[in-house]
Amino acid sequence: MDMNEKPKVEEKVEEQKPQEVPEVEAPKLPDTKEGKLVAEVLEKAPYAEGNVRRERRVEFKVPADRIKEFLELASEKFEMLIQISVVDWLKEGEFELVYQLWSVSESVHAFVRTRIPRENAKMPTVMDIWPVAETYEREAHEFFGIIFEGNPRLGPFILEPREYEKHPLRKDFNMLGYVKTIYGEDFDRYDESKTNYVI
Amino acid sequence: MSERKNDEFINYELQEFKLFEPLFKWARKKSLWIVAFCTGCGGIEMPPLATARYDFERFGIMPNPAPRMGDLFLITGYVTPKTLKRIIITYEMMQDPKYVMIHGSCPINGGVYWDSYNVVKQFDKYLPVDVAIAGCMPRAEAVMDGIMEIMRKIEDGTADGWKRYRENYEYYRKNQDELFGEGWREKDARRWLAWI
Repeated sequence: MDMNEKPKVEEKVEEQKPQEVPEVEAPKLPDTKEGKLVAEVLEKAPYAEGNVRRERRVEFKVPADRIKEFLELASEKFEMLIQISVVDWLKEGEFELVYQLWSVSESVHAFVRTRIPRENAKMPTVMDIWPVAETYEREAHEFFGIIFEGNPRLGPFILEPREYEKHPLRKDFNMLGYVKTIYGEDFDRYDESKTNYVI
Repeated sequence: MSERKNDEFINYELQEFKLFEPLFKWARKKSLWIVAFCTGCGGIEMPPLATARYDFERFGIMPNPAPRMGDLFLITGYVTPKTLKRIIITYEMMQDPKYVMIHGSCPINGGVYWDSYNVVKQFDKYLPVDVAIAGCMPRAEAVMDGIMEIMRKIEDGTADGWKRYRENYEYYRKNQDELFGEGWREKDARRWLAWI
């Protein structure tokens, strides 16, 4: 073959198909037991968002005013409440409540997330769905100051009364100042300039 | 009851029988019973101490659930104010002579919880301490070393925390009241122990 000879390039005329405008759809759920479970729950509750994180782990996002309704619906599939945990988002000014549910029949762990404003945070109690929620709600109330309407036993639970008033797990709780007032001279390892921490 | 008799009654354990005192010290040294009151993380170091490798029953030590029969009080790890109330009441229920040993950095100066709102710094301010073991967590060898140290101190007569608690009771009581507020014994401890 000569070096100068160029290889022939077959020119294909591509037929341009008219592109279909894809409709905005929810992310497709995988064809597993988790995906079917989420699809079943979302059929009855169209206001919620749900997705599958990984095997045996699903996640729902629910607006705060529909949370009671959603949890009553979800309690048919998820029979157990494992924990109510709270995340404090200080910059957004919101508390995020995470209801962790466990499905005994399907062995799937679900997060149900909801966000409420930080000031005068109020939630409906879920004691009538899962009686164990009473303890978790008392704890969340003590550490973050969220009021669960309908729970009769809110109040000082684990901490001392003076700590209960401060809600010590909030992000705006000035822990170093509090420790200085309580422990005084014992608290000798804190440097105001924050250059010298001795741990 | 006359005043002299009352003093004798209160200070009965402080009487020393000169002739038999070495024998008594030896007996106390060889029969340290631990009050089974584990705070914080140090409780997990007790099973290796009690089982075959560092078998503490060689030294006549045994865990006992009753404070009335205990000699040695192990503070194993961090102490919260809520636990400190129970510790103080339990310590006062123990019979003299009684010895306190603290494990780890947290009861000494706060340890890793130096800036925590509910961990007591300087346990020494609230109850007298005989032996302190530094470390986080001290392993069973270090605890055995502390126990040997406390045995030496009992033989020397320098393990006198229970005497110091009697002599400086106002100081310890003042610190306890500063932390818990006045009248905490009547408010809290009476719910657990009706006779206080």
